[in-house]
Amino acid sequence: MRTSKTREILRYVMDYAISISIFILIWSLYVNISGVPQFVLPKPTVVFKEFIGLFTTGMIWPHLGMTVFEVVIGFGIGVIGGIALGYLVAKIEVVKTALMPFIIFIQTAPKIALVPLFVVWFGIGLPSKIVLIVSMVIFPIMSGIILGIDSIPADARNLMRILKANKLQVFMHLEIKYSLPMLFSGLKIGIVQAVIGAIVAEWMSGKIGLGYILTYGNATYDTPLLMAGIIVTIILGIVSYESIELIGRKLLKWHVSQNIE
Amino acid sequence: MNDFCLQTKGLNKVYHSVLKGDTVALKDINLDINKREFISIIGPSGCGKSTLLRILGCLDKPTSGEIIYQDGKEQEMGFVFQDSVLLPWKNVRENAGFPLVIKKDKTKESWDKLDDLLELSGLSDFKNSLPKELSGGMKQRVSIVRALSYDAPMLLMDEPFGALDAITRDHLNLELLKIWEMTKKTIIFVTHSIEEAVFLSDRVIVMSARPGQIKEIVEIDLERVRKESVRDTDKFQEYTKYLRGIIG
Ligand SMILES: Nc1ncnc2c1ncn2[C@@H]1O[C@H](COP(=O)(O)OP(=O)(O)O)[C@@H](O)[C@H]1O
Ligand SMILES: [Mg+2]
Repeated sequence: MRTSKTREILRYVMDYAISISIFILIWSLYVNISGVPQFVLPKPTVVFKEFIGLFTTGMIWPHLGMTVFEVVIGFGIGVIGGIALGYLVAKIEVVKTALMPFIIFIQTAPKIALVPLFVVWFGIGLPSKIVLIVSMVIFPIMSGIILGIDSIPADARNLMRILKANKLQVFMHLEIKYSLPMLFSGLKIGIVQAVIGAIVAEWMSGKIGLGYILTYGNATYDTPLLMAGIIVTIILGIVSYESIELIGRKLLKWHVSQNIE
Repeated sequence: MNDFCLQTKGLNKVYHSVLKGDTVALKDINLDINKREFISIIGPSGCGKSTLLRILGCLDKPTSGEIIYQDGKEQEMGFVFQDSVLLPWKNVRENAGFPLVIKKDKTKESWDKLDDLLELSGLSDFKNSLPKELSGGMKQRVSIVRALSYDAPMLLMDEPFGALDAITRDHLNLELLKIWEMTKKTIIFVTHSIEEAVFLSDRVIVMSARPGQIKEIVEIDLERVRKESVRDTDKFQEYTKYLRGIIG
């Protein structure tokens, strides 16, 4: 059991490593043969050195820290807000009828187009960034909760009534647990959105954050810096996504979508 | 004779629907159910069996008429649904003991009794299994133990074995009788199998559809304790033949 699992992980990593190596090989061949200038496409080695440099000089930390901070705060508020709002919509018909048109409108509107408006309303500091992130996180979480609560079998609710369970017990023992699989699908979409939101918000305003590094690299034609920054962003995205995935897998062992160990 | 468990007087149930018009699901249902009786309700699908059971279990309200419970409206009841509705994140023992958690019953006595019931139902070796690892018959066993766990005097069952194969069904019928004889509960059992109704019951309530009414109540005078062999007797065959005749 154990060895087959280790082998599986190893193969997974190997597949990744091979496809990335091939990609880098083609990239470096192309740069060498075509001789494109560095500000258009630098060599992989140059980007790699820049990437390492970001960490060894310590230059990246305040920016990375700021972006992580925004993601954590924005994601946190978005999750709590999404759960609360989703629960109200799922449970109270009036709220659903009243809010649904707005929810659909705001959900389909490209949030990024709203950034200038957020800047006008909330200034160029942290608040407008957090507002953008929250607006991008809240809807996937909300739909997750609504779908989850709708997925509860009618007879499971009847069981709670036969047992004379109170509202809190129904919430704790039935609604939360049944919503978890859908909620985690929402969380996974939400965390990706949160990282995108943070980067975009930093593009628009301010002088700190990974998004700022990208605009700075762009404005100064420092393409190695730009690409190294993109790699840090991608890694941040993957790490945060995988953390949610890992927590989800721990909590949802019972779910039919998870293989029995 | 105040040994009744519940009485219904002129129960009616109408479902209103804008699209399909009104459905009279139940019409003038008058029932007297005795304590410790095993009653089956049988009839064609759509005749209102589930509706009646849900109303008896206070999961739905009649449009008119009343129900009198010997022990009052708040009396405890167990309900076994057609789908076992086990909570997928709880293992067998946690599912079976779920009512005790809801009722905040932490006494060792109740939990020991639960383990006895699990033992009796052949679930001892599966206490830590999750629902997704169980067969349909096993799941329904767990859901029956769950309904028994808090020792409600009345047990309502809605086609609990309807989705199971014939062999498993016969097996569970025997187990259910054993439990009933041990615990002496009142059981109201909905089924669409005539053999099952005859094998289990003291009385069989035959319903007809549109509107859902009681057509006849048939007393099953077969020996108690019933064994598998009772199915082969002439009397058993007569009852099934008779019931098949009325249901048509
Ligand atoms: N919630 C409901 N709304 C409208 N009609 C219903 C509802 N539940 C049951 N019915 C109708 O009532 C009748 C009896 O249904 P039911 O009690 O489920 O029958 P059975 O369990 O005997 O198959 C059927 O015609 C069904 O369509
Ligand atoms: Mg039914």
